Amino acid sequence: MNRITFSIVCVVMMIAGQGYTQPAARIRIAAASDLKFALDSVADTFRKTHPGTVDITYGSSGKLFEQISNSAPFDIFFSADITYPQQLKEKQLTLSEIYVYGKGRMVLWSKKADPKKEGMNTLLLPSVLKIAIANPQHAPYGKRAEEALAYYKLMERVKSKLVFGENISQTAQFVTTGAADAGIVALSLALSPNMKKEKGSYFLIPEESHQPLEQGAVITKHAQGNAYAKIFLDYIKSDAANAILRHFGFTKP
Amino acid sequence: MLDLAPFYLTLKLAVVSTAILFVISVPVAYGLAFSRWRGKAIIDAFVGLPLVLPPSVLGFYLLLAFSPQHAFGHFLEKYFDLRLVFTFPGLVVASVIYSLPFMIQPIQNGFRSVPVALKEAAYTLGKSRLTTLTKVLIPNMKGALLTGCMLTFAHTIGEFGVVLMVGGNIPNETRVISVTIYDEVEAMNYHQANVYASILLVFSFLVLISVYLVNNRAFKVDPYHD
Amino acid sequence: MIELAIARKLHGAGGAVNLNLDIKIETGDFVTLYGPSGAGKTSILRMLAGLLTPDDGRIVCDRQVWFDKSKRINLRPQFRNLGMVFQEYSLFPNMTVQGNLEFALQKDQPKTNVEELLQLTELEQLRDKKPALLSGGQKQRVALARALVRRPKLLLLDEPLSALDTAMQTKLQDYILRVHRQYHLTTLMVSHDLNEVIKMSKRVLVLEDGTIKKDGSPLDVLPLDNLKPFITGNLSP
Repeated sequence: MNRITFSIVCVVMMIAGQGYTQPAARIRIAAASDLKFALDSVADTFRKTHPGTVDITYGSSGKLFEQISNSAPFDIFFSADITYPQQLKEKQLTLSEIYVYGKGRMVLWSKKADPKKEGMNTLLLPSVLKIAIANPQHAPYGKRAEEALAYYKLMERVKSKLVFGENISQTAQFVTTGAADAGIVALSLALSPNMKKEKGSYFLIPEESHQPLEQGAVITKHAQGNAYAKIFLDYIKSDAANAILRHFGFTKP
Repeated sequence: MLDLAPFYLTLKLAVVSTAILFVISVPVAYGLAFSRWRGKAIIDAFVGLPLVLPPSVLGFYLLLAFSPQHAFGHFLEKYFDLRLVFTFPGLVVASVIYSLPFMIQPIQNGFRSVPVALKEAAYTLGKSRLTTLTKVLIPNMKGALLTGCMLTFAHTIGEFGVVLMVGGNIPNETRVISVTIYDEVEAMNYHQANVYASILLVFSFLVLISVYLVNNRAFKVDPYHD
Repeated sequence: MIELAIARKLHGAGGAVNLNLDIKIETGDFVTLYGPSGAGKTSILRMLAGLLTPDDGRIVCDRQVWFDKSKRINLRPQFRNLGMVFQEYSLFPNMTVQGNLEFALQKDQPKTNVEELLQLTELEQLRDKKPALLSGGQKQRVALARALVRRPKLLLLDEPLSALDTAMQTKLQDYILRVHRQYHLTTLMVSHDLNEVIKMSKRVLVLEDGTIKKDGSPLDVLPLDNLKPFITGNLSP
């Protein structure tokens, strides 16, 4: 029994000792899910010239806003809806000005049908039984999707077919796996390698059908004294970063 | 390519939670097993709550309790410089609470499974209740203790809802393996998700097998078979 | 000297029994408690040991008050100077024979006590065996030895031999008598075996419906009509 106890203690100590060597420069970012591939790329290139740790947590902008309001330890907040950073500012939880890094666009994506043919009316096809959109309560893309559906007078007819993703990433996951037959997802995700290889097609939803998806980034109060955070936000404004964002479909506001 | 941090974090959480819960549970289970206080039913029910409550309910109330905007969280931050929301210590506290019945109930049953006459014999030999607990009761319920630890360990590794709500999915801090797998699926990195999930599956299976083997061999003395 | 004046309501298979006794046991006596099943014999022993609380009364042992309802005294078993042998032996499965005996030792007592009892009950060969590997008779001897390791003054035996075969019973009866004499014990034994009672004790308490109906020497007090033809030896008329 003693030998067993000894080995258990060893394992415990080994495990407990993990993760205590960290470089000096470090930031934690909360980012809207539509930035998943774009921001990962930006962070990778950023670290080449400015070594350090960049930890990114993706989620729906509304949820992340809630967490930051409740003192979640994030240094920079990238939101798909600029009203959230604005609210943070009102609560005096921000350190920098809000930087609008781009405008998001939405697409109608499907594997089953070809949205390019019918456009929004694809949603009325009998083969489309389930339509995925992001949860309008806290995901900006969800709210805009509802607006677009209302604009095209489709809401009443498709309401019963809607399924809601926790954030725009999960919404995309619903359509790529076929759990939903069609979905309204972020252009930035549709352009990502993961979705491109899924062999679906999409229809770019006209901007006039919904409120703009103005994306804003801001440094939070948690980053007080963290110079690395400021350096990162400056980098986002650079040409290199902008090129990546453009590549993923974020247009200049 | 494969980030091992979530594994270490998850193991750390499971080991620490199980250890803390074990120390807390032995006295509580002892009281529940042997006390004749009428209020015992309330404590029993309270201990069993995590079995019945949806993780989101538990997560919600813990989030409220830990938040620095509210009384308890504020108190912790002011006097102990301790923040429980979105931190590893917060996950440990949450784990201990939602795994409570998984440790206490097996140990409680273990205490009751030891024949009362053994306890009484020790008392008539002049042994105190503490000595009886450590030298007579515990050595004769090792199986129950192991079961409690194993269930708690496994339950902590598998927990998702509470961890996500209270921990917030912060890399190297609260992003445990269950959350990581969910993340990868969400990001449509199905291959990555599969690798993580398979490792976890194999690991869990191995833990269970070894526990059952040890349990069967070490604790039974059968005079009629080899 | 032991004073046992207790009352308690017992709930048994045959209904409720109101136990009520007032007896005195002299130091050095070997007393048997005899009676049908369910009469309350085990309960009396348990109350003496402190494992069961009487509803009312007093228990005094060698001028030490163990229980007194009116004065709210109820000494826990740990503090009563006695040794008890249970009907189910209750040996500790996680300890060897020697371990069981050593566990019973008090801090200031010498290990020679253990050796002595191992010899007395002829258990030296079995000292390193765990209880699961012992026969019924061996377990009973260990239980007896364990109860005596710390040299108590009072020995309580709860039907200790009922599960054994006749040959083993005889052997163990001899052990019990031997230790009773060797350690100058006061012994109270519960039994429903007539032969055993006659052989071992000078005084029998016959318990029926919760009270002591008869109190005297075995031959005077026991219902021997069926056995008279089988009893050899001198019978006083």
